[in-house]
Amino acid sequence: MLFRDQIDFVRQHVKRNRMRVFTTILATTMGCAFLIVLASIAFGLQESLKNDILSDSAVTKIEVYGNDEKGIDQKAVKAIPNVQALVETTQFNEPLTANVKLENRSGSGEMVFTNFKEQQKAKIKLSAGTYPTKADEIIVGYNLGQNLLTKKEEQSAKEEGKKEEKNNKGYQHSLLGKTISLSFTLENEEEHTKVRQYKIVGIGEKPSKEWAMDTSIQISDAMKSNILNDYNGIVDKKVQEKDFYNVSYNAYATDMEAVKGVLKKLKAMNLSVYSVTEQLDQLNVFFLALKVGLIFVGTIAVLIASIGIFNTMTMAVTERTREIGVMKAIGAGPKLIQRLFIMESAYIGVLGTVIAIIISYIISFLANLALPKILDAVISDGGIEEAGIRFSTIPWELVVIASLISIGVAVLSGWRPARKATKIDVIQALHQE
Amino acid sequence: MIHIQNVSHTFTIGKKGSEKKIPVLKNISFEVAKGEIISIVGKSGSGKSTLLNAVAGFLKPEEGSIIIQGKETTTLTESEYAIFRSENIGFIFQNFQLMPGLTAFENIELPLKIQGIDKHRRFEIVNKIIRKVGLETVFDHYPNELSGGQQQRVCIARALITNPPIILADEPTGNLDSETEQEILQLIALLNESMDITFIIITHDEEVANIAHRKFLMHDGVLKEVVQHAV
Ligand SMILES: Nc1ncnc2c1ncn2[C@@H]1O[C@H](COP(=O)(O)OP(=O)(O)OP(=O)(O)O)[C@@H](O)[C@H]1O
Ligand SMILES: [Mg+2]
Repeated sequence: MLFRDQIDFVRQHVKRNRMRVFTTILATTMGCAFLIVLASIAFGLQESLKNDILSDSAVTKIEVYGNDEKGIDQKAVKAIPNVQALVETTQFNEPLTANVKLENRSGSGEMVFTNFKEQQKAKIKLSAGTYPTKADEIIVGYNLGQNLLTKKEEQSAKEEGKKEEKNNKGYQHSLLGKTISLSFTLENEEEHTKVRQYKIVGIGEKPSKEWAMDTSIQISDAMKSNILNDYNGIVDKKVQEKDFYNVSYNAYATDMEAVKGVLKKLKAMNLSVYSVTEQLDQLNVFFLALKVGLIFVGTIAVLIASIGIFNTMTMAVTERTREIGVMKAIGAGPKLIQRLFIMESAYIGVLGTVIAIIISYIISFLANLALPKILDAVISDGGIEEAGIRFSTIPWELVVIASLISIGVAVLSGWRPARKATKIDVIQALHQE
Repeated sequence: MIHIQNVSHTFTIGKKGSEKKIPVLKNISFEVAKGEIISIVGKSGSGKSTLLNAVAGFLKPEEGSIIIQGKETTTLTESEYAIFRSENIGFIFQNFQLMPGLTAFENIELPLKIQGIDKHRRFEIVNKIIRKVGLETVFDHYPNELSGGQQQRVCIARALITNPPIILADEPTGNLDSETEQEILQLIALLNESMDITFIIITHDEEVANIAHRKFLMHDGVLKEVVQHAV
């Protein structure tokens, strides 16, 4: 029998029992859609968390910590293959506030000393400008301008409270090319260090999250000793450089794939390391387990639906006993009979699955649209909508897995009835009315 | 064409321990030549249908051999027999056995579909047969929209459609009135003559026996040829 004719044949039979087949397809659809939607939660949350982690910092970044007094052998780290840069960043150990002045505005930022050459090698992007080449050139965070307020603005911000914070836009123009004055004060004290002038030549990238603020002030390592001297000028007890500063290192791998190998080498050098990729690995293992678990639970729903398919097919075989007898008498072999019935249950499975996939996408879409709003309304300080969390994602892999499961189960549950059909005795079948 | 040798068959009924054995075919041997019509008559329950089912391969006789077209059929598997049947044997049933969901045309077409013949070829072949059996006006009717005689014509057309050399008929006119019966018998005689098809026809009816070239009598599982004396 030609495949086309087989399909026609199956279609004809399906049409004759429209109601029964329809309800069976409905059950299959519900089972399969349940499976997809349930598992889509794991896929959605994983994606949300992954995006969250990845947007937080570069994937190629590896934080490196020395385990003993000696610290880090920078040359050795840079010599590791696929390490393209080792950026040294330095922060104050003391609670110093960086006071920024620009025109009639003032504010504060987070001070960091860094090696711009290495940053450039690490290909850390800027939103505007270039990397500094001179000691008095700096890079500032994307949001530093917002922190620079006039006296009046500061006053109104204090009065109206935190709620109005957003309305205060601070310095509206680009900071690029501007020269700021910078000095430092100890917490709760008036006296400040020598005021130095810096030229802003670069602006950092915009933070990936809406609510995040980057108000950093990056200054060349070359300034470290000068600023230490400034500080020692205002305090009674002089401090050493190694006590004043806190140095940390970030190695940058050439690409994400190279990170694993670099981590291994660093660990072998008896260094402590941290990379988001490690966090991602753990996350992936956790979500793999969750996905398998949810798909398993969803499969139970599909199995329940398969009981319906089994019943429908068994009834179909019983009802058509005489017709099967005639088919055999006029030349149909057992293989053809079996195939026709398996195709019929596969037809139910395929149709149910296709409808389920469509419905699942709709449900997933609506859930992502409505759930954050509902949760935000229920939870007072939600912010879920802003955070951009996806509750449900249906990647093609999930569609393939779910289709294989539900069509496979449909075919399996039609298998026994189909076998039964092949065993029908022609003589007895032809005696039936 | 058909050689049947020492075929015996016994049905066993009842539960284990208290089974009853019913010998239905007892050492039956006969031969049918190409283009022959033979009729088998006999009392109800004498084993006529059982013999025909054995020839058709629906039932494997316990003993004996059935050779059709030079092929021993008692050792064929079900799948092998299905192919053999679709190439060599057509069936005419007492109660027509048409598919209720298919039109006359589609019923006749079905064996060709099973053989995997494409739509265009099927259309040609079926139309030819429809003309031959005289169903031109009702080919698009469903079985419940056809008279008994018309249904039997559909059944005959379906048996003929694959052009088999042998047609087996179990009481082909048993459900028809005598006038229709005559038409069907004439059709069978015509087909036999024009297409050289071999017929084995089981019947209660003397009329049917009249178109047969040879006549057999089944009695309690024993088959005997009825020798017709020249007048
Ligand atoms: N599957 C079976 N199991 C047990 N006994 C059977 C079976 N089929 C037929 N018989 C018995 O075999 C005998 C012959 O049956 P068969 O159908 O061949 O008779 P028949 O000559 O065709 O009768 P009729 O003219 O009424 O159609 C009967 O006694 C019947 O009861
Ligand atoms: Mg009979």
